[in-house]
Amino acid sequence: MRIDPRSHVPIYLQIADEVRAAVAAGIYRPGEVIPSLRVLAIDLQVNPNTVQRAYDELEREGLIYSQRGKGLYVAEQGAASAHRRALDTVSRAFDQGVRCAQAAGMSRTQLDEVFQSAVRRTYGDGSQQA
Amino acid sequence: MSTSSCCEPAIELVGLTKRFGATLAVDNLSLEVPRGSTLGLIGPNGAGKTTTIRILMGVLSPTAGDARVLGTSAVADPTRVKQRVGYVPEVQHIYRWMRVGQVIGFCRSLYQESWNEETCRSVLDLFALDPHKKVKHLSKGMLVKLSLLLAISHDPDVLVLDEPMSGLDPIAREEFLDGVLRTLCERGQTVLFSTHTLDDVQRMADTVAILYEGRLLVHGNIEQLVATTKRIRVVLANGSRPDQVPAGTVWDRLDGREWLLTVRDFAPEKAQQVRALGGVDHVEVIDLGLEDVFKDIVKGQRLKGVVQ
Repeated sequence: MRIDPRSHVPIYLQIADEVRAAVAAGIYRPGEVIPSLRVLAIDLQVNPNTVQRAYDELEREGLIYSQRGKGLYVAEQGAASAHRRALDTVSRAFDQGVRCAQAAGMSRTQLDEVFQSAVRRTYGDGSQQA
Repeated sequence: MSTSSCCEPAIELVGLTKRFGATLAVDNLSLEVPRGSTLGLIGPNGAGKTTTIRILMGVLSPTAGDARVLGTSAVADPTRVKQRVGYVPEVQHIYRWMRVGQVIGFCRSLYQESWNEETCRSVLDLFALDPHKKVKHLSKGMLVKLSLLLAISHDPDVLVLDEPMSGLDPIAREEFLDGVLRTLCERGQTVLFSTHTLDDVQRMADTVAILYEGRLLVHGNIEQLVATTKRIRVVLANGSRPDQVPAGTVWDRLDGREWLLTVRDFAPEKAQQVRALGGVDHVEVIDLGLEDVFKDIVKGQRLKGVVQ
C-alpha cells in the first residue's frame, strides 16, 4: 500500500481506497485480518489518528469489522463492497482526466478515442472480452 | 478551571506576544491543540515558529499573553511544564564530551521516578544507538534520534518538536519518524511540531497552523483547508485583468492571457462569478495540494505587504 502526501485527496481517504483495492484484489479475503493500526501507521508513515479515521470509514461501510482485542477482519460481503467502492475511485480518476482534456481544448470525439484506445491497451482489442 | 479536566486542550496559546526590540516576533497568537491530536506549525523563515516553541517550553518569556501545557502556564511554572513535555529543540544542546550512555544516565537521574527504562531501552535498540559512543562523534541523524530518545523516555503526554527532521538524509528521516510513530501508537500523545516540509504535515498532522510575521494566518483541519482552497485558471480574451476578484482570493497572477487566482472558501458560485466577468474566454477550477495552498497564502501576504 502507498499514499501520496502531495495529493489534494485526504490521506485517510487514500488509505481507505488502498485497503478497498487490496480487498478487491483478493490480497485480504473475507474472515482474514487486515494490518493493525500500528503496523499500517508505521508502514505508511502516517499519524495513527489518520489510519484510525480510514478504518472507521471502512467499518462504517461494512468492509471490515473489529473483534475486541483481536483485530480487524474483512467482512463476508467485504469483497463485493470493495468492488462497488472501487467504482468511485475509478470515476474520480476519470473526472481528473476529463478535466485535463477539457483544459487542453479537446472535443468529445477526441476524448472518446483516447478512452477507447486506453481500454484496448489494457483489456485487448475486444475479441476476448473480459 | 480544573487542571485535570478531560476536555481542556493539551496546549493553549492565549494572546501570545513576543517583542525583540522593534521586532514583533510573535503577534497576539492564540490557538489550542486538543488532547491526542497533532498540530503542524508552518511558516516561512522568521515567522515566529521557534520563538513560539521556546516560550511554550519556558525557555523564553513572552512580552504578553500565556502559553499553557495541560493546564500549567509555561510562564509561571516552566519546571512543571518541562516535566510533562518531551522536547526536541531545533539545535541539540547535549554535552558533546559525554558518551551516549552517560547522557542517558544523567537524564534518568533528572526525571527519577517518571523515567521509563523500558521505553528508553526499546528506543535505544530501534535507533541502534551505541551507548559507548561519544556525543561529539554522532552524525546529525544519530544526534536527533538521541534527542528524541531523551524526550520520550520520561513518558510525557505532550511532544514538542522544532523542525526535527530538517537536514536529515531520507533514511535518517524515516527512522526518526518511525520512532515518533511508535510512541504515538503506544501512548497517543499530543504533538506540536514545526517544519518546512509540507509532506510531513500531511503525514503527521491533524491540524495545521500557518504563521507569517508572527501572526496566525490560518489554523484548522488540513483536509478542510485543502478541500476549500482552489485555483481558478482563467483564459482572458485580450489579456487585460478584470478589476474584480471573488471574495476570499488570497493570491492572483496575470501572465499574458492566463489569469490564475487562488481562492479560499471556494464554492462553485465563485467560478461562475469569474465566468460572468467581461473578456473571459475560459474558466477552469484546479485542485491544490497543501504545499500550493501554503505557498499561495504566504505569497499573497507578501504582495499585500508590498502594496501597503
